[in-house]
Amino acid sequence: MATQTPATEVLDLTVRKAPRRHWLEVLHDWVTTVDHKKIGLMYIGYSLIFLVVAGVEALLMRIQLAVPNNHFVSPQVFNGLFTMHGTTMVFFVGMPILFGFGNYLIPLMIGARDMAFPRLNAFSFWISAFGGLLLYFSYLGGSGLYGAGSAPDVGWFAYAPLTARVFSPGHSTDYWTLALLLSGIGTIGTALNIVATTICMRCPGMKMSRLPLLVWLYLVTSGLTFVAVGPLTAAQIMLMLDRYVGSHFFDTQAGGSAVLWMHFFWIFGHPEVYILVLPAFAFANEIIPVFSRKAIFGYPAMVAASVGIGFISLSVWAHHMFTVGLGPGANTFFTLATMIISVPTGIKIFNWLATLWGGKIHFTAAMMFAIGFLFQFLIAGLTGIMLSVAPFDWQLGNSYFVVAHFHYVLVGAILFMIFSAFYYWYPKITGRMLSERLGKWHFWLFLIGFHLTFDLMHVPGLLGMPRRIYTYEADRGWMIWNMLVSSGAAIQAVATLLFVFNMVWSYFKGAVAGADPWDAWTLEWSTTSPPPSYNFAKIPSVGSRRPLWDLKHPEDPDSDYEMEQSVPRKRSEESK
Amino acid sequence: MHGDHSQQKNELQLPSPTAWPMVLALGIALVLTGMVTDGIVSILGGILAVAGMVGWFWQVLPHEAHEAVEVSTEEVRIVSSRTLAARLPIGPMHRKIIPVETFRIVTGIKGGIAGGIAMAVPAVIFSVLKYHSIWYAMNLLAAGGFISWAGASNAFLSEFHLRGLLAALVIHGLTSLLVGLLYGAMLPMFPKYPILTAGFMVPLLFTGILRSALGIVSPILNQRIDWFWFVISQIAFGLVCGFVVNLQAKVRTPQFQALPFSVRAGLHSDLDERKHGELTDSDDKDTPR
Repeated sequence: MATQTPATEVLDLTVRKAPRRHWLEVLHDWVTTVDHKKIGLMYIGYSLIFLVVAGVEALLMRIQLAVPNNHFVSPQVFNGLFTMHGTTMVFFVGMPILFGFGNYLIPLMIGARDMAFPRLNAFSFWISAFGGLLLYFSYLGGSGLYGAGSAPDVGWFAYAPLTARVFSPGHSTDYWTLALLLSGIGTIGTALNIVATTICMRCPGMKMSRLPLLVWLYLVTSGLTFVAVGPLTAAQIMLMLDRYVGSHFFDTQAGGSAVLWMHFFWIFGHPEVYILVLPAFAFANEIIPVFSRKAIFGYPAMVAASVGIGFISLSVWAHHMFTVGLGPGANTFFTLATMIISVPTGIKIFNWLATLWGGKIHFTAAMMFAIGFLFQFLIAGLTGIMLSVAPFDWQLGNSYFVVAHFHYVLVGAILFMIFSAFYYWYPKITGRMLSERLGKWHFWLFLIGFHLTFDLMHVPGLLGMPRRIYTYEADRGWMIWNMLVSSGAAIQAVATLLFVFNMVWSYFKGAVAGADPWDAWTLEWSTTSPPPSYNFAKIPSVGSRRPLWDLKHPEDPDSDYEMEQSVPRKRSEESK
Repeated sequence: MHGDHSQQKNELQLPSPTAWPMVLALGIALVLTGMVTDGIVSILGGILAVAGMVGWFWQVLPHEAHEAVEVSTEEVRIVSSRTLAARLPIGPMHRKIIPVETFRIVTGIKGGIAGGIAMAVPAVIFSVLKYHSIWYAMNLLAAGGFISWAGASNAFLSEFHLRGLLAALVIHGLTSLLVGLLYGAMLPMFPKYPILTAGFMVPLLFTGILRSALGIVSPILNQRIDWFWFVISQIAFGLVCGFVVNLQAKVRTPQFQALPFSVRAGLHSDLDERKHGELTDSDDKDTPR
């Protein structure tokens, strides 16, 4: 039977036809903006630029490793490439792009007009951006390992004593330290803003039990950020003191401890994985239900699992250090803690599967990336469990098996969900639909390239190929695997170019999206695409976790079924 | 008056745009950049940072600066984009029924504790019979955590070690609880042949997986485990844990057993395929509703 649900909400639309403005005026608008949406877009824009830069660095490394005894780049340049690739991807692509989406979406999803501290929001963005610029300025101003390279070249986790002045003369390591310090200030500022916004600026009716799961996940991510970034900043300051004023925190010959750096770094470094992956979960929580045409399965369990992951992830850092020789007690603890984190993670995967179960699944580009994420994250988790076993880790620590494992998480899970998020929210951000046809080409090409690269990358690891190796002899049996891995990287690059083309083309030529192209249920879809600067002229009020479902289906609203409301209602009906 | 009112209605106050946060960020960045370039850069950065802070304070003190943003309104319809919606026949309870009450955490915890105690009995018997010590099996379990203990002598493993006791208690306690929770969650989904499922199938499956995995993870420990006795202790756990869970869960009503697996697992429901009265007439509190 045909259904057209009546309108029950008045929305406000700004008149869009404005006179064409001078580019300096537009630039001024963006530089001075405190609007969370523009700041979110600036985060996303600068992350995409760094994504391209770090992607090119990865390609250069893969060309270098494609064949044995290759000298495509020098060893010094290679050291700089893997350091800059890792640092850029984690600090200047992963975190900002996820915080960018958070900035854009959170106020819209909770029915607020802006973040709690709009100026702090702008400050956080700019200081992070200047951190990225400072890092890359090192190519001009630094002087690295052996005095030959210019970019930082001590690896993205910069183990002591390699970072000591004697082993890393010049300023390349200082650039790395200072850039991360700046980025850390911005990260803390944004996390603070997200927490304050979520706690204080929810619209009427938006209880914590009705908060969209995306917002819950960002809340947990922000909490993790507070705890994790502090130790990193402390370690960076200690390293600067070592390098500038001659203290000996990490100088083993003078009574310091190189292992201390490892602890500080990984106390940040492992929660960082969850700081990156929780927003990816957040996207999945919104996208999978909409394209399954079902409410998320097990909302309370999803929230509990997210909070559980947040806590447990703070107690697993030393599984990165099994090869140090921590002793049986620590090995046991960190093995068990690492394994236990698979329980809440498993709950999430089962809940996503249960959401898909029996749903009317729409295989849009966004959904295809989300389904790819589900399978790939599962595999990444399984190799994670393997590496959590200390003796197994002793065999494969610092091998390409580890590189393959964490790229399965970072690319197979996080990047796939970022792509999914682009396909899902691009219409909201720009008012135009991305081309589904190009999106599916993008998906299949990227999927093939990803599996060619990162499935096969496990094999040279198992065969003993260490990470960060500059080149290798032909008789090791690694060549065919490296050639295939590099071919996969090229396919991923082509797919990414297709995605960039799709975004640009669709911005001008894409179909007009309308306010709610996916027939979705959260508040951001109740305003225009793109939303006006004030988001909502009238602050909405919600009665359930799916406010737009309630508006579209007043005959069968979710609010009738949510525990807090239904119990008194039933009681009142009974009393009648 | 009327005009003023409509003017107010069409404007909203939003925080004013400002460059001062950017200036402050640039200033701080330059202060740090000076450390790797030239001191003059730090001085410039310091000036910009101070200017940025002062400018920012002027933005928010004594009152936060706002700008009026024009709002134009029009009524739009929030409708489902689906013009055709298939609606399933709606029963008297309006929505389908999901068996949300089939599993309570306390059930699994009780089962895990009981099973863990039962499991220790065959383990101790094995230790006494083979090594004349009640501590051997416990220390062997602790070797799962203390890697070097896997290669220790039988005499060492037969002695009492406080560390071994604590490690074994933690490992055994946690594992028993987790497996108990798994039983609590899973057994209601498999209500037929509970003794066979809980007491034999699951322990044998678990032992098989563990043995094959341990052969890779720790071959030395794998060799030292007496798998015959291991299976017996697993069966003891499974029987007792399964018994306690089934006793507590109370979901093995004929109505529940007749539901398909996907419904028992809570994935979806099929109330419309069943008579509503069948379920509501039952006074079993674990009955799906």
